[in-house]
Amino acid sequence: MNEATVNGNSDLSINETLSELVEKTEALTALLISRHGICLGQAGGARLNATALAALVAGMFSATKEVANIVGEEQFSILLQQGKKRHIHISLIGQRSMMVIVFEDYSRIGRVRLAAKRSSPALVRLLNKDRKDQKDALQDISIPDFKEYALNLIDRIFVIGEEEDASP
Amino acid sequence: MPHLDLNNKQLVFKIVYFGPGLSGKTTNLLFIHKKIFDKYKGDMVSLDTEEERTLFFDFFPVSLGSVQGFSLKIHLYTIPGQVYYEASRRIILEGADGVVFVADSKIDRLDDNIDMYRRMITNLNSFGVDLDFFPIVLQYNKRDFDEIIPLGRIEEILELPEDILVTESVAISGAGVMKTLQLISKEVIRNFQLD
Repeated sequence: MNEATVNGNSDLSINETLSELVEKTEALTALLISRHGICLGQAGGARLNATALAALVAGMFSATKEVANIVGEEQFSILLQQGKKRHIHISLIGQRSMMVIVFEDYSRIGRVRLAAKRSSPALVRLLNKDRKDQKDALQDISIPDFKEYALNLIDRIFVIGEEEDASP
Repeated sequence: MPHLDLNNKQLVFKIVYFGPGLSGKTTNLLFIHKKIFDKYKGDMVSLDTEEERTLFFDFFPVSLGSVQGFSLKIHLYTIPGQVYYEASRRIILEGADGVVFVADSKIDRLDDNIDMYRRMITNLNSFGVDLDFFPIVLQYNKRDFDEIIPLGRIEEILELPEDILVTESVAISGAGVMKTLQLISKEVIRNFQLD
């Protein structure tokens, strides 16, 4: 069996790879997040606040790395949070990303762990490809136009009100 | 460099509110969150202690809209200002596209401001940030107190560049808060370039 993804299909996107993992493990949801707390991909039906979850998990994982250093480890590659009904399995994907799997039936922990491990190489490869594609995608942006439009949006949304003079 | 997410076609900039403990970083963020229309903002996440001091960070995302096919977002963070949370500060500061340094204007907090600013610069240097091109806004907060640090004093002690952006604020009432946010956001956008 090709271990590139859970089922061996190596031509999937990040979201498709996560979907496959969710299906295989019957997890509620799976997310791929960057070390800086950005959600890079998501699959599964659970309606979770992925943006906040990504920021919190990234912080948690970084904090755990500091804990690892204190006890003489470089880092812990897996974090497991066990709740009453829901549990979270977090694993490092390469050096810059993490996968979060939220699941309910704790007896499936072995399956979750195995699926996470098996999908990791494919996700690393897809992330590397993404980084290459990013440069190409950014070339399509007209920087002067982008900046002008973005500055207008800032004026429109970050509105300065009457309370604004703070000079003593 | 902002984070580009090709799967979701979004461009995310990270702005961090840095400064000594109790200088008003969380108060800034709370005012901004209250002020921005619901359709543009996500939930605010706060990790604080029982005394409501920030333990890890405060965070919320702002969606500015779509620019050239990309959804443009700004993620706003605060750091814990207490001296012993250095590791947390470092984690949060990494990957920032710009910083608001929230200084406490009370005269007896001058040394704390200086110490925390130096810590910030040390961390940014360690990430390989080119400080000549890194957006920083120095916000003198708590301008409603009687005995306050005069404008220019922090810049003078730290020998900051003359063109550093400076604002005054009273975050508890909101004065100067949105102006600071506008200023740092625009600097971050102006600073955006392709590597």
